[in-house]
Amino acid sequence: MDYFLQNFPQQLVNGLEAGSLYALIALGYTLIYGILEMLNFAHGDVYMVGAFLAAGVAGVLVHNEVAAVPAGLAVALMMVVAMGGAGLLGVGIERVAYRPLRNANRLAPLITAVGVSLFLESAVQVWVSPASVLVASNALVPQTVFHLGNAVTPLTGAILFAVAVALMVALDAFVFRTRFGSALRATAQDREAATFMGIDVDRVIMVTFFLASALAGMGGVLFGLRYASVDFFMGYLLGIKAFTAAVIGGIGNIRGAMVGGLLVGVLESLVGGFISTQFQDTFVFLALIAVLLVRPQGLFGQPLTDRA
Amino acid sequence: MAQPRILILAALASVGLAACGGGTGTGGTANKPDKVQIAAEGPFTGNQASIGAGALQAIKLAVKDFNKAGGVSGTQVQLLIWDDQHNAQTAQTLQAQGISDPTVLGIVGPMNSGVVNGSVQGLQNASPPLPLVSESASDTAVTDSGHSVAHRVCARDDAQGPADAKFMIDQGAKKVFVMDAKSDYSTGLADKTEAALKAKSIPTQRESVKAGEKVFGTVITKIKSFGADWVYFADEGPEAAPLVSQMKQQGLTIGQNIQFLGTDGEEDPSIIAASQGAYEGAYATNITADPAGVSGSAAAAYVAAFKAEYGSDAISKAGPFYGSAYEAAQVLMQAIKNSPVKNGKISRTDVLSHLGSDTFSTIFGSVKFDAKGDVQGGGIYVYQAKGNAMVVIKQVSG
Repeated sequence: MDYFLQNFPQQLVNGLEAGSLYALIALGYTLIYGILEMLNFAHGDVYMVGAFLAAGVAGVLVHNEVAAVPAGLAVALMMVVAMGGAGLLGVGIERVAYRPLRNANRLAPLITAVGVSLFLESAVQVWVSPASVLVASNALVPQTVFHLGNAVTPLTGAILFAVAVALMVALDAFVFRTRFGSALRATAQDREAATFMGIDVDRVIMVTFFLASALAGMGGVLFGLRYASVDFFMGYLLGIKAFTAAVIGGIGNIRGAMVGGLLVGVLESLVGGFISTQFQDTFVFLALIAVLLVRPQGLFGQPLTDRA
Repeated sequence: MAQPRILILAALASVGLAACGGGTGTGGTANKPDKVQIAAEGPFTGNQASIGAGALQAIKLAVKDFNKAGGVSGTQVQLLIWDDQHNAQTAQTLQAQGISDPTVLGIVGPMNSGVVNGSVQGLQNASPPLPLVSESASDTAVTDSGHSVAHRVCARDDAQGPADAKFMIDQGAKKVFVMDAKSDYSTGLADKTEAALKAKSIPTQRESVKAGEKVFGTVITKIKSFGADWVYFADEGPEAAPLVSQMKQQGLTIGQNIQFLGTDGEEDPSIIAASQGAYEGAYATNITADPAGVSGSAAAAYVAAFKAEYGSDAISKAGPFYGSAYEAAQVLMQAIKNSPVKNGKISRTDVLSHLGSDTFSTIFGSVKFDAKGDVQGGGIYVYQAKGNAMVVIKQVSG
């Protein structure tokens, strides 16, 4: 019991850090599923490209561990470039790979999504780097370490958690409180009816892809700052975890994705800490199966879309 | 820089020889093979491309240098590139092409032990059998399974595990946290090291992480609560940098309150930068030598040639096996060159017997295989992160 009490706070912090990243990526899966009922399997790789854009900006601005511009500005630039770049990439993918198939068999866009995913991974591997690329986060963010009782977290970890939560709250407000948010929800509910109401459905879908992908891009920045290294394969594992989180939370449901992400992160960390790291994935997927058996629609009851 | 000149001389000499022998034509008793092919096999793309890509560059360079020096009696060696993506089934599909074509005389690779073990049967049963010289497959079964086609220029896991354990004990290890990355290679090596530690009554705790993992908070918390003074990570490299930088953030500083020993791939100097200096002072052992880290003019000339071919920063991206891959290619091509040419053809049977009997001259000195196909006197090299480089501090054995 002593062992548990001593280590629990740290494992919880570890889990929340990992989980907030899962949640950020899970939001993208859920947003796109909500509106198109398709699983965007390339989403994890959009996150990876965002991380590489951030690493690229950091690489240009930082030389010999000294940033050429004030560190705050450099981080802001990384965020703008990664979010913007990932967002545009998402819009481009939708335009090229999904829109032509919007009325096709439901399997077709799923397969192109897998194709886009493989393409992005291979492209980054061949054209950028087959090995890990360094993000000089020590030149950009102070290396302060916070102590919370027994637990420690570096400033970058705290930033990861805080920014992720802030973005989730902002997205929630955007979807539920703004005019565009209602258009988005209307499109998700019934695309045809939304068209009749004068909603430009193509535009709504584009903006959704932009938002989902920009969130993933931000995830990439936060990851790069926290863990200081990115590689072309990083989106694969994380994408699967985030997708699991979205399903546990209830795919299509925004708040579900947030809670699902944090849950998966914390569950993984506690299993790793108190049972064995060997069983981390086993328990995450057991949890998925359990949730699907008991509540097939995911933890958060009604999905965002109310399909007939 | 004597090496290139020697190569040029050799090239001139062999061109001269070829010119002399040219009169006899290609048929009948000609001593010039019509076609010589070898294959490079490894994970050149996919999630292990970080070890495969550099090895492929090395093999390409080896073939280029060998051809510049005259090839096989004037015939240029053609290189086939088999990208098995660390998958034994893919490997078998690729190898089928070589098995059926008698002018494919050998394979440099496969790089992964799991791939060799999964495909060696087919190579052995080919007629004639298709020899392989691996630059990095260290699992004991690779040569212990009794397949005469299998050779390797790297050391074996059962040499590395005990050597690693002994090194840590010699350095005063009291409690060792042993980690693996869930692969044939990594788990097998961690098992052997852990067993050797336990045999000396050193307490250990064992954890596995996923290949490609970058988030280690959970594991690090366990290292701390176990109270380890050494962390041993049997891995091929990509996970080390995030692991050690996160260890430092959680208060475990290498050289101060923790020591770190990694394995093949973790002697890669790019880890020092990628960990933002947290790797400083860490040790790593490797089943092959890094040409940039050993003394010897041939190795130094090779490093210079590699930089000239692929750029000055190429070494830092080349992964752990760019030396042994060149070495393996040299060995295979010399065995081919030593084999007799009959009717414009070289038989794989002869290549195989020359691999077994000859002594080869490589960038790491002379190499000879024992009866199983392991290098005689192959050793384990210990590196330490100092400044921006990984320096060989000694050669050890179990």
